Amino acid sequence: MEAIYSVPFTILECPRLKLKKPSWVRQPSAMTIFAFVLLSYFLVTGGIIYDVIVEPPSIGSTTDEKGNSRPVAFMPYRVNGQYIMEGLASSFLFTLGGLGFVILDQTNKPLMPRLNRILLMSVGFVAIVLSFFMCRVFMRMKLPGYLMA
Amino acid sequence: MAEAGVKTEIRSAVWKPGGLKSLLSFSILFLAWLVGFSSRLFAVIRFESIIHEFDPWFNYRATHYMVNNGFYNFLNWFDDRAWYPLGRIVGGTVYPGLMVTSGSIYWILDLLNIPIHIREVCVFLAPLFSGMTALAVYFFTTEIWSAGAGLFAACFIAIVPGYISRSVAGSYDNEGIAIFALMFTYFLWIKSVKTGSLFWAICTALSYFYMVSAWGGYVFIINLIPLHVFVLLIMGRYSRRIYVAYNAFFIVGLILSMQVPFVGFNPISTSEHMASAGVFALLNAYGALKYIQSFLTKAEFKYFFIIAALGAAGFIFVAVVGLTWAGYIHPWSGRFYSLWDTGYAKIHIPIIASVSEHQPTTWVSFFFDLHILVCAFPAGVWYCVKEVNDERVFVILYAIFASYFAGVMVRLMLTLTPIVCVLAAVAFSKTFEIYLKDDSLKANNKDSEEDEPENKNDNKLYDKVGKPKKDKKEEKPKNQEAIGMNIKSIVVIALLLMLMLFAVHCTWVTSSAYSSPSIVLASYNHDGSRTILDDFREAYYWLRQNTHDKARVMSWWDYGYQIAGMGNRTTLVDNNTWNNSHIALESDYFTPQGEFRVDSAGSSTLLNCLMYKLSYYRFGELQLDFRSPPGFDRTRGVEIGNKNFELTHLEEAYTTEHWLVRIYKVKDLENRNTIIKPTIPVKRTKLRSSPSKKSAKKRPGVIKNKPKIIKGKKPTKTTSKK
Repeated sequence: MEAIYSVPFTILECPRLKLKKPSWVRQPSAMTIFAFVLLSYFLVTGGIIYDVIVEPPSIGSTTDEKGNSRPVAFMPYRVNGQYIMEGLASSFLFTLGGLGFVILDQTNKPLMPRLNRILLMSVGFVAIVLSFFMCRVFMRMKLPGYLMA
Repeated sequence: MAEAGVKTEIRSAVWKPGGLKSLLSFSILFLAWLVGFSSRLFAVIRFESIIHEFDPWFNYRATHYMVNNGFYNFLNWFDDRAWYPLGRIVGGTVYPGLMVTSGSIYWILDLLNIPIHIREVCVFLAPLFSGMTALAVYFFTTEIWSAGAGLFAACFIAIVPGYISRSVAGSYDNEGIAIFALMFTYFLWIKSVKTGSLFWAICTALSYFYMVSAWGGYVFIINLIPLHVFVLLIMGRYSRRIYVAYNAFFIVGLILSMQVPFVGFNPISTSEHMASAGVFALLNAYGALKYIQSFLTKAEFKYFFIIAALGAAGFIFVAVVGLTWAGYIHPWSGRFYSLWDTGYAKIHIPIIASVSEHQPTTWVSFFFDLHILVCAFPAGVWYCVKEVNDERVFVILYAIFASYFAGVMVRLMLTLTPIVCVLAAVAFSKTFEIYLKDDSLKANNKDSEEDEPENKNDNKLYDKVGKPKKDKKEEKPKNQEAIGMNIKSIVVIALLLMLMLFAVHCTWVTSSAYSSPSIVLASYNHDGSRTILDDFREAYYWLRQNTHDKARVMSWWDYGYQIAGMGNRTTLVDNNTWNNSHIALESDYFTPQGEFRVDSAGSSTLLNCLMYKLSYYRFGELQLDFRSPPGFDRTRGVEIGNKNFELTHLEEAYTTEHWLVRIYKVKDLENRNTIIKPTIPVKRTKLRSSPSKKSAKKRPGVIKNKPKIIKGKKPTKTTSKK
C-alpha cells in the first residue's frame, strides 16, 4: 500500500505547507440558518421577485377631482399587481405573525419568573392578533369586496 | 352470548385510549375528506357538471378517446384535429397518468355495474383526489412530527384555497392528481430514510413513477430528494439507511420514469436530471471511502482521500462538460431556466411569460391562497430547525425551495401549499399542546393524571420529539411559576377564532374566485340576480352543426381545445405550447401591437387591426341599454372608438346572443383584384394574407421579434370566431 501512493513522491518533493481549515468555516448554527430563512421568506412573500421583474413604483398616485395628486398605498382591485411598499408592509405582518408563534412557544421555558412568562405571552399574543387583523384590513383595501356576498 | 361478548369488546376497544385515539383520527380524516370534497362542488351546483377552462377539455377528449379505443390505441393516437396542418401525436406528447387514472376508475365502476358517463368521472376526479391528498399529508406530517399535527395538516390541505384553485370539480387537469402523488412520494421517502428498508424505497420509486406519468412537476421530486441526500452528507449525517434508500430509489425510479413515452430518454439526457445522477455517484463514492477507511490507518487514509477526491471531481467535471459539448446532455430547458434567471422568460419566450399564471407572485396571492397559514409557516420552520433530524432537514429544504419558486411564478403556489399546511400544522399543534395543558394542576396533584389518559398517551405514543423527558424536567420548577389556565385559555380561544375565520375565508375564496368554469359566464345585475352567459357553448354547437367536417377554424389560441372538444372541428392553434412560433404567427395577424384599448383614445393601429374589426363588426349599430350610447362594451365599460367599417375578405356567419363569440367565413379570393380606393390601405394587405380569422376579445399579448408572414395561403372555406 505504501508503495502505491509514494510513487509520485519519487519525483516530486513535498512542499512544506500547513493547510488549516480557516476558523470561520464551520457549520452555521441552527438559529443562523433560521434567521436567514426568515429574512428570505420576508422578501419572497413581499413579492420582491415581482418588484424586480415588473419594476412597479414604490407608491402609486392618483389625481382627485380637484386635480391634486394624492398618494395611493395599495393598488386596488388587482390581485396580481402591487406597489413595492404595500408588499413589504404586508410581508412584515406575515413575519410578525410567525414570530408571535415563536414567542408563544418561548413562554414554556423552564425557570422563568411568572411575570416574564405573562409578559412574553401577551407580546406573542398581540403580535399574532395584530398581524392577522391588519392583514384583513389590507385585504379590504386591496379588494373592497373581500368577504362580502 | 356472542353478541354480548362483541359488545363488551367494542366498548373496551373504544375506552382503551388507543382505540379512542384511532376512532378520533379516523373520523377527523373522514370529515376532512368530506368537507374538502363538498367545498369543491360550487361550480357543479351553480352551473352543471361540466369541464372547466381550456386544458381540461383536451384531457377530457383524450380520456374519452382512451375509454372508447383502449390504452394502446390511445398511445398511438395521431390527432389531426389539433395543430393544423401538422397534427399532434398525442401518445408521445401527453402525461398519460391522468387519463389512465380516470379510465381505471371508470372501468372499476363499470365492472361493478354502475353505469356512469366518463365525463362525470372526469369532473369529480379532482375533488376525490383532494381527499387522498389530505390522507397523504396526514401520513407525511405524522412521520415528521406527530399524529396531532397530522390531523391539523389534513384539515388544512382539505380546504386551503391554494390547492382548491387547481382542484375544483370540473378542473380536470394534471395538478389535481399530481399533488397527491407528490405528497405520497415524499411520505414514502421519509419513511424509507427513517427505516432504511428496501421495501419503502421501492414503494417510493413506484409512487414516483405514478407522479412522472401524471405531471411535469416530477422534476421537483427528482431534484429535491438528491438535494436532501446531499445536504445530509454535508452535515455529516451519512448513514447506511440513507445509502440504501437513495440508491434503491434512484435506480428503480430512473428505469420506471423512462417508461413514460413523453419522458423517454430525458432522465439520462437533460440537465434537470443530472443532479440526481451526480448525487448517486457522490453517495457511492462516499460509501466506498467509508468502506476503505475501515482497513486503512488514519494517515494513509488522508492521502488516499485527497487523491481520490481530486481524481473523482476532475473526472466528473470533464465527463459532464464533454457530454454536454458532444450533445448527449441537453442544457436546461427554457422553462426550467426561467425559474433561476427571472428575466429569462420575458426576453426569450414571451408566449410563456404572457400567460397570467406564469407571472411573479405578489403578496396578495400569498395571503389569498394561504391566509393564516402564511403566518404560522415560519414558526413551523422554527420548530423543525430547533429540533432537527434527518427527515426534518428534508422539510426545511422543501420549505425554502418551494417558497422561492412560488415567488417566481403564481402557478407554483401549488407546490408550496402542502408544505405550508404541514409546517403551519406543526406550529398550531405545538402551540395548542402548550396552552391546553394545565401545568399548575398537574404539578399539584400528580395522581389526577389518571383522569387524563388521553393526554398521557399522547406523549407516549405519538410524540417522538422527546417530549416526555422535557416534561419531567419541567415539573419541578413549575409549581409557582406556571401561568394559570384562565390566561392560557384566552390564547387558545383567540387561535380557535382565527382558525374559524380561516375556514370562512377559504369558503369565500373558493366560492367567489375559483369556481367559475370560464366556459359558462355568470354576471350579476344591480339587484343581485344572476344572468348566465352561455355564448361559448352556443357558438361551439353552431360550429358543429353548420360547418363542413373539413372546415378549419382560426381562433385565439386559448380556445383551440374547446373547439376541438365541443365543436369537433380542426383548429389552427391550440393551447399546447410546444410550438411557440405557430401561436406568435397567429397573434401577429390579430394584433400588430400588444397594447389593448378599445375606446376612441386607443391607437389607430389597434382600431383598424383585424381583431378589433372582427370583434366589433356591426357592434356600433347595437344599443343594449337606454342609458348607454350605441356600441357600448359592457366588459370594459367604454364606448368603442371606431364604429364604421366594412370587411373585405370576411363575411359574418354567426353571432351569439350576447355578442361574446362571432364567427366569420372567409370569402373565396376574387379572380381579379378589383382596384378600389382602400379606406385603410395598411389593413388591406393584412386581410388578404390571412385566409381565416377568429379572435378573442380580452387577450392581450406581446409578441417580440415578430416572424414574417408568408403570403398566399390556400383559400379554403373557413370559419372564424371571435
